[in-house]
Amino acid sequence: MGARDTSSWEQVPAAPAEHFVSGLVYSDPDIYRDESDKIFSKVWRLACHESELPEAFDYRVFDHDGQSLFSIRGEDNVVRTFLNVCSHRGAKLLDQPAGNAKSITCFYHRWTYDSQGGCTGIPRASGYASGSVKKEVMGLREVRTEILHGLAFVCMDDAAPPLGSHIGSALDRFSEMLTGQPLEVFHYNQAILDCNWKAWHETNMDLYHEFMHVVLRQTQVNAMPMEDRKRIVFDGGHGGSGGDLKAAYDGYEGFAGRGDDVPPLPGMSATDFRFVNLFPSTAIISRGTVVRIDTVTPIGPDKALLEMRGLGLKGESDEHRRIRQKHHNQYWGPFGRNVPEDMVAAESCADSFRNQAGRYQIIARDEKMSGQDDAILRAFYAEWGRRVDRDPGAPV
Amino acid sequence: MSDHEAIRTLIGKSCLALDDSDFAAYLGLCALDFSYCIRVWSPELRKDMIWLEHDRDGMAGLFETLPEHLQRSGRLSRHVSISTIETGASAQEFVVVSSVVVHHTDLGGRTQTLAVGRYNDTVIREGGAVLLATREVTLETRDLGIGLHVPL
Repeated sequence: MGARDTSSWEQVPAAPAEHFVSGLVYSDPDIYRDESDKIFSKVWRLACHESELPEAFDYRVFDHDGQSLFSIRGEDNVVRTFLNVCSHRGAKLLDQPAGNAKSITCFYHRWTYDSQGGCTGIPRASGYASGSVKKEVMGLREVRTEILHGLAFVCMDDAAPPLGSHIGSALDRFSEMLTGQPLEVFHYNQAILDCNWKAWHETNMDLYHEFMHVVLRQTQVNAMPMEDRKRIVFDGGHGGSGGDLKAAYDGYEGFAGRGDDVPPLPGMSATDFRFVNLFPSTAIISRGTVVRIDTVTPIGPDKALLEMRGLGLKGESDEHRRIRQKHHNQYWGPFGRNVPEDMVAAESCADSFRNQAGRYQIIARDEKMSGQDDAILRAFYAEWGRRVDRDPGAPV
Repeated sequence: MSDHEAIRTLIGKSCLALDDSDFAAYLGLCALDFSYCIRVWSPELRKDMIWLEHDRDGMAGLFETLPEHLQRSGRLSRHVSISTIETGASAQEFVVVSSVVVHHTDLGGRTQTLAVGRYNDTVIREGGAVLLATREVTLETRDLGIGLHVPL
């Protein structure tokens, strides 16, 4: 079989419907709006790690579904989240990405709020003669917030089921690692990528692309039998490693002995590789001594904001922290051996689907939930299709 | 050549060597106990972060493996303006602070600013030459797009 003509290139693949995805899911503006309305405004997503709000009145500002939000730890130690919008004229309340604010003061007319979202001050309130504008009714718009294993999740939909029913058992295998000892975020970076948000998330769901990374070709692909690499999917579009994968660090220049010099995270060995992808757009990936958490936020059909966090043990010695940072940076971060390669891949595919040169993405690998099976991608798109009420293979 | 002239030439050559991917030349400008670090202040975490850290051997290993990696295509250009040169802990040591701007030119010839920051260098006089003893890059730019496999 040789090259294909136009008709052959554009025809729907002769494969089960769940084995391919139309390129339109990465570029169509109507689909993007549906995702906002039916996924991102309805589903729980990660806001931050608890360690980013260690003290009362610490806050973190972040964007979600085109809106600015902030999470803040109250004097009662409860983390709450609010739209970052003054009730008065809509000015943005908090400008810095993080800080500590016992009282939140709008710069515009000096209205003030407390850490529980209550309006505490309106200058010259007597001027509102009708009495309908008074601080008792002018609080901030609270956004539902729940914390699971130290991870603060938010949901814009007041009527959505609780976080537990969304996550199900998908984080169970991470419970010991995330809670066995207190963790702390030591790395954070953002990148705006020229791709649809799903193109990034797919890089975390697709093990077949290990072959792209020289580090993984030399440390992971042959570290254990493919049939022993178990995969698991959960209700709700989540999926990850069923059992731990292994890495053989001696295979790559400079990585030998990785993990001998610092304790692994709780429940992990230094050579373990464990990951889970939470629908819609969070990935938790641990390589023994460090864990990385990705959150990708759509900012357009073909633009996405990627946030990457690296975590280690809270309170560890400076020496151990330095080693853990090194382990993190070997694979991840803007100068890591792997992450820039993933970004090249995500943007490259996006470029093809943007103008429909690429028509379909094939997710047909079936290795009985082992090896480099595409089952996680299929589970993700099944949930995606259910949420937006579209067939991923023929979405328009 | 005065010390200051020699130091300016050293800093300039270090940029040109990386721009040209002439890593042997770059390492030739570095002392045997050279160390390299990229530091970034995170306003999100309110902490200092390390994004890359290597000794001389680590840098050599990084350079050696580069050809096997999938990298951002195009070319980087490092533009340096030396701000201060001061004597360090001894008469043989200098502390040099420079502003650095890194541009990326893609394969279509389009150039964009990739990063701005500073080089905080320690330079030592050894024999008749001056060498880089440490280079700490402090970056203002925190979104590097698809990232990099090479030092700045």
